[in-house]
Amino acid sequence: MLITDTFQAAQRSLLRNKSRSLLTMLGVIIGVGSVVLMTSVGASMEKLILGQISSIGAQSMVIFPGTSEGAEGSIMAGFDSLTLEDVNALEKLTTVNSIAPGIMMPVNAATYGREKTEPRVIGTVPNYFLNREVTIERGRLLEDSDIRAARNVAVIGSEIVDDLFGRQNPIGKRIKLGARSYEVIGTLESIGTQFFQNADEFVFIPMTTARAQNAQKYVNIISLQSVGDFDLAQSDVESLLRRRHGIVNPDGDTDKDDFMVRTSAQANDILGAVSLGLTLFITTVAGISLIVGGIGIMNIMLVAVTERTREIGLRKAIGAKRRDILLQFLVEAVVITMVAGIIGIVCGIGLAALTAAIADKFLPTYDFAISYPSIGVAFGMAFSVGLGFGIYPARKAAMLSPMNALRYE
Amino acid sequence: MPKKKTSPTVPLIETQSLTKSYFSEELETPVLHGIDLTISEEEFVSIMGPSGSGKSTLMHILGFLDQPTTGKYLFRGEPTRTMTDDELAAIRATRVSFVFQAFNLLPRTTVLDNVMLPLLYHPTIPASERVERSMNAIKSVDLEDRALYYTNQLSGGQQQRVAIARALVTSPDVIFADEPTGNLDSKSGNQVMEVLQDLHDEGGRTIILVTHEQSTAAHAKRIIHLLDGNVSSDTKQFTQINAKKNNNLKK
Repeated sequence: MLITDTFQAAQRSLLRNKSRSLLTMLGVIIGVGSVVLMTSVGASMEKLILGQISSIGAQSMVIFPGTSEGAEGSIMAGFDSLTLEDVNALEKLTTVNSIAPGIMMPVNAATYGREKTEPRVIGTVPNYFLNREVTIERGRLLEDSDIRAARNVAVIGSEIVDDLFGRQNPIGKRIKLGARSYEVIGTLESIGTQFFQNADEFVFIPMTTARAQNAQKYVNIISLQSVGDFDLAQSDVESLLRRRHGIVNPDGDTDKDDFMVRTSAQANDILGAVSLGLTLFITTVAGISLIVGGIGIMNIMLVAVTERTREIGLRKAIGAKRRDILLQFLVEAVVITMVAGIIGIVCGIGLAALTAAIADKFLPTYDFAISYPSIGVAFGMAFSVGLGFGIYPARKAAMLSPMNALRYE
Repeated sequence: MPKKKTSPTVPLIETQSLTKSYFSEELETPVLHGIDLTISEEEFVSIMGPSGSGKSTLMHILGFLDQPTTGKYLFRGEPTRTMTDDELAAIRATRVSFVFQAFNLLPRTTVLDNVMLPLLYHPTIPASERVERSMNAIKSVDLEDRALYYTNQLSGGQQQRVAIARALVTSPDVIFADEPTGNLDSKSGNQVMEVLQDLHDEGGRTIILVTHEQSTAAHAKRIIHLLDGNVSSDTKQFTQINAKKNNNLKK
């Protein structure tokens, strides 16, 4: 049998049995489509979650008072191991710059008219915004003149804006933090989680304004940037603080320190763990979709066997060799799974895009994403299942004596 | 159509002590108990017997659809026992063809494509001759005006004539017809028998007809009776029924 005849026979057979072909294709389309859709949604979720945690410069470093033990990274107001003298000493290091101390204010409520929320109020300097890579949404950030004059002004995070002002423009409005009143001069775009804190619930006031209220000498956070080599800068900072605090710690055992240095590398480790968890989740979902889709393909392939067995019997009776039969079925299975696989991928991507369009209404940061490896895996699965369950019965039938195949019911 | 002639001493089909048993779960069911028969070219033979007599099994073996358990089957003097699967397939493609009770046509496929199907598997007939040969075969069963119809649009009698055309298209040495009228009413059955008789009388074809009905078997020139896996009689002494006359009478 000529190879062109084989292709023609396969093509005619597929067209002759349109409903069977369509059902088989449907199995493949659903299998492939669901995997593509699930992994795409998963990839979008991953981007969404990781996007909320990200955006810290690689050169950024944050120092907290306290030891590494206990609540990790929590800013405990009143903890007094880091002082303004430490900040001044850090200023003299050549390996770091953009040093921004912060003082947490013991403010439990921010109010605007009747609206009330629970902010985290920090007194700080303009460099802080630089280090955290925030983006101004409206108005302006704190400036040096605000610091010098100790003005009662505030820059507020996006959650505070939502809670207190809703859709109103907060610029120029006055909010109350505890007993005092501050003019809102700027609002920030949503940042998400930075250094394990929700950065959107912060209210930033000038450092000097904060100190005027409680005159504390210690600071709750120091944000800074490395100049040049990051590791060198980190060890410079650590040894300076140990020397100043009288800590003997030649091994660099952070448990002995009375401060903690947090870097974006550490943050990235956590990100990696979160990302891995998400990947495992998506893989599980995709795996289940693969099994479900595979069983769908398998069923329809097996259902088609009876009819095919008699056809194979006839073809053998009129002179087809085993090879002719197998080749025809191989070509049929390849053609049908390829076509259906491509349709499945298109449908899956389409549905994922639709999901993204709908999700975008509720989650503005939800972005459409595609997991390319999973497309390959889904396609490969459809292909091998389609091929396996298309060829295996055909092979069995081709091995039967033509008489038995003809009589098969 | 011209036929290859072999030496008259070598018959087309010869079996010696042919037996066939089916095996299931260590249980042996003998179906044929040593068949000796000889069929020459241009014969029109009926193999007749009640169901269970082994006539279909014998036809399957003679038609290379199945292998005997013991005994010899010589086709044109050549032993067939040692043939490989591909050699048997090649014989089915070139030397023999079948007309089945259940027609076994491909549905939703045109008459022409059905008739052409065996040519796809024929090792020597070139692709360029396929349509012409198929149309000739269709003409010989008087269905040229239906050539582009789907087979499922035809009556049972027409479908069986398509099956006969399909059996003719490769110009085989022998055509096996297994209860060709079994699924047909008497009028359609008569037409099918007329076609077969014409093929033999005018085309010089070798035809082996398998049936359980005396009235169908009597269209042939020789009747071999099978009973319980043995040849019980082999005779040319009977009144042959002429299908054409019958048809004319019915008109």
